[in-house]
Amino acid sequence: MGKWSRRAFIGAGVTAGGALIVGVAVRQGNPIDELGPLLANGENEQLLNAWVKVDTDNVVTAVIPHVEMGQGVHTALAQMLADEMDADWNKVQILEAPADMQYVSDSIGRDFLFPNLQVPALLEPTVAGGILELAQAMGLQFTGGSYSVRATGQRAMRTAGAAAREMLVAAAASEWQVPESEITAADSMVIHARSGKSEPFAAFARAAAEQSLPAKPKLKSPDNYKIMGQPMARHDIPAKVDGSAIFGIDADVPGMKYAAVKAPPVIGATVESMNASTAKTMPGVLQILNMGDFVAVVADSYWLAQQALNSIDTRYSKTEGDGLDQDAIFARYAAALDEAGEDGGDTQTEAGDAVQSFAEAATKVEAEYTVPFLAHATMEPMNCTAWVRDGKCDVWSGHQAPVNARQAAADAAGLAFEDVTYHNGYLGGGFGRRSDNDAIIMATRIAKATGYPVKMIWSREEDTAQDHYRPSATSRFKGGLDKDGKLVSWDNIHTHLFDPADAPTVPYYNIASHKIRKVDVPMHLRFGPWRSVDHSQHGFFIESFVDEMADAAGKDGYAFRRELLAESPRHLKVLDTAAKMSGWGNALPEKHGRGIAFVPSFGSIVAQVAEVDMSGPKPKVTKVYVAADPGFVVNPDGFTAQMESGIVYGLTAALYGDITLKDGAVQQSNFHDYRMLRIDEMPEVEVALINGDHERLGGGGEPGLPPIAPAVTNAIFAATGKRIRALPIAKHDFA
Amino acid sequence: MLLLIRAAALSSLIVLAACGADPAPGPVEQIIVREPGAAAAVASAEAPADALLAEGKAAFANCTACHTLEEGAPNGVGPNLFGIVGAGAGEVAGFAYSDALKGSGITWTATELDSFIADPAAKIPGTTMVAGAIADAAKRQAVIAYIDSVTAN
Repeated sequence: MGKWSRRAFIGAGVTAGGALIVGVAVRQGNPIDELGPLLANGENEQLLNAWVKVDTDNVVTAVIPHVEMGQGVHTALAQMLADEMDADWNKVQILEAPADMQYVSDSIGRDFLFPNLQVPALLEPTVAGGILELAQAMGLQFTGGSYSVRATGQRAMRTAGAAAREMLVAAAASEWQVPESEITAADSMVIHARSGKSEPFAAFARAAAEQSLPAKPKLKSPDNYKIMGQPMARHDIPAKVDGSAIFGIDADVPGMKYAAVKAPPVIGATVESMNASTAKTMPGVLQILNMGDFVAVVADSYWLAQQALNSIDTRYSKTEGDGLDQDAIFARYAAALDEAGEDGGDTQTEAGDAVQSFAEAATKVEAEYTVPFLAHATMEPMNCTAWVRDGKCDVWSGHQAPVNARQAAADAAGLAFEDVTYHNGYLGGGFGRRSDNDAIIMATRIAKATGYPVKMIWSREEDTAQDHYRPSATSRFKGGLDKDGKLVSWDNIHTHLFDPADAPTVPYYNIASHKIRKVDVPMHLRFGPWRSVDHSQHGFFIESFVDEMADAAGKDGYAFRRELLAESPRHLKVLDTAAKMSGWGNALPEKHGRGIAFVPSFGSIVAQVAEVDMSGPKPKVTKVYVAADPGFVVNPDGFTAQMESGIVYGLTAALYGDITLKDGAVQQSNFHDYRMLRIDEMPEVEVALINGDHERLGGGGEPGLPPIAPAVTNAIFAATGKRIRALPIAKHDFA
Repeated sequence: MLLLIRAAALSSLIVLAACGADPAPGPVEQIIVREPGAAAAVASAEAPADALLAEGKAAFANCTACHTLEEGAPNGVGPNLFGIVGAGAGEVAGFAYSDALKGSGITWTATELDSFIADPAAKIPGTTMVAGAIADAAKRQAVIAYIDSVTAN
């Protein structure tokens, strides 16, 4: 990366990710021409630019380079494009982009340049952010990191819509021989009020493609938004209600057979031998495969394949992970942290002198927190259908990075990228799990061995035991208060760092001296992003410790955080809103408690207040108040749903989530021992939305999650005086 | 900066893997029991009835979401089906049938069951059986044979 100068990178990066597809008209000689056949349904369709298509019947199709996994992103991104384009929302269709390199246009490392194109103003600034967002969200056609709306939407969909509108207006001006400035657009029509002329967009689609590309399409200011900011109904919901939605697992290929798979319980082991003498005689069985790193049975139905698989006696190789138990893992963390001491480990951020200020502090607090491994437990089991024949390969699944999946299938089949067609369905839950390629590779290898199409489905047991887990972690804090109870020293060291890098940091809290370090502890398990990634651990660590410091200062958690945020009015407003909604300070019944937590993540600021009822044998979370500022809320209904679902997922983990190891293998197997939150345990959730900065948007998919665990444990402390320093909550006794 | 490196590393996955990658390993051991479309090796000649019942039992798994089959088992969303073949429609004790089904006057012969399961709402408009129709005639035959066999045993 070092060789890219800022200017050169922006040129190439933006060329790759945004500008070149955004607003580029399709015409002869332009590489994007190759996209035409992929997106067009007929000869009369005109591909205006890569993110938008105008049909002869005046239907505007927003081509969305992100996958839909329940987060509502197809609708939100289409809103952003349609609003800038002045399209008729009722005639907007949504098409998920094909998994195609031309579409993705990742020119970092690829010679893919469009000459003579200026970069839209919107794409120029925010160097660091721009690189990351373009590379991740567009370059990989990747859906995750809560990036879709804030990166693709804000930088690409809006620009594409605005560019399309300007080109349509220019075409109309040319045809009508009137100045562009006299032409307006509304509801997918171009209008010249003075002469009374108006025509649908479609009338000028072809002529618009001949117009010069606007270098800097003018974007609307928020007071002119008509579709953005409105709770438009999600496009994917009707099909999900009537059952016609096609998820990855619904792939239906003529002649398709089914595979069940089992990998060694200790990750990293290989299959040494298998005894399939019974399986061979079982009904429906076609093939039994020892793939080295897993065993597969191919049969006429999934059930028959799984039954035969269950009868196979398999021996596995020894690995480093053998013999490793749960307690030993946390002992390893403790040893690594002990060894790092006061100065060891990798320093992530440092200001002032944390050691000195702690030594001089009037009040000193030390605490250690732990969180467990977590599985994703997507509702749709892991699956992939593949067909490898005649030098070609077709793959069907639901994946967060379709281009990556296509490449993984190509590698597994020994074919070129171009020889693989990847078909993406809806994702029945992603949460980061479906950004890994393991299922894609396994299915492709099986299909290559059989020669006919095979749908591989993992059992829930396999899913639970073979996940790419959210890492467990231990975090230690030393905090110091001055004689007035002001937090002046913050020293944190923790195990593991995955992503994003800012997760353990607290730049929004005004603390004079701080030092934040990490140590790495090798583990044989595979790790993967899990909704909100490192914020899921550090949100709990940080907000628990802030609460402990507040208690040591003799202040309540809300007042203490107010002081720390005194110089950050935007943050303060979010905190104040949540506190006010909850009636913070009002008396609660006996054995009830209220807890507050505040975690900015993925560009959005979120505060939550949880209320718990501790009068029963176990905690009952009764109510959660959420205040969130993602800059600007594109779809209030969708964003609110994301806050709520972040709480469902995060509360499940906080209360119950606990993947444990015995002798190197995961002990949990299904929902009886890996509990989900049940409907009677769901708190009432009230969400307030704040539009604090319409220029820089934050994400929605993840930021609702990190505050819930500490809000609940802080509430339990308020109700009982018992401080939860190790998740999940279920392993603590409240009797 | 860490984020940046990760992003770069991710994109290099695609770029680097794009040319000349070795295919992932094939099977260490491959047991081909039969090819698709070929008759099952465990020939049904010796026990054709068993094969039919096995198929029916497997297919009945879908029905268990609503129906129990064991003698004396409680009604679910749908009635208990023990002894249903040959019984009159709407006669299982304790189940709240639709008026339409109760008043149909049907006796559940295999033929009547077959046409009902093929499309319940067409056979008895107003029935509360809104799920579980089986379009495949062979599968219906297997399921009915299986239900009957449980009673016979």
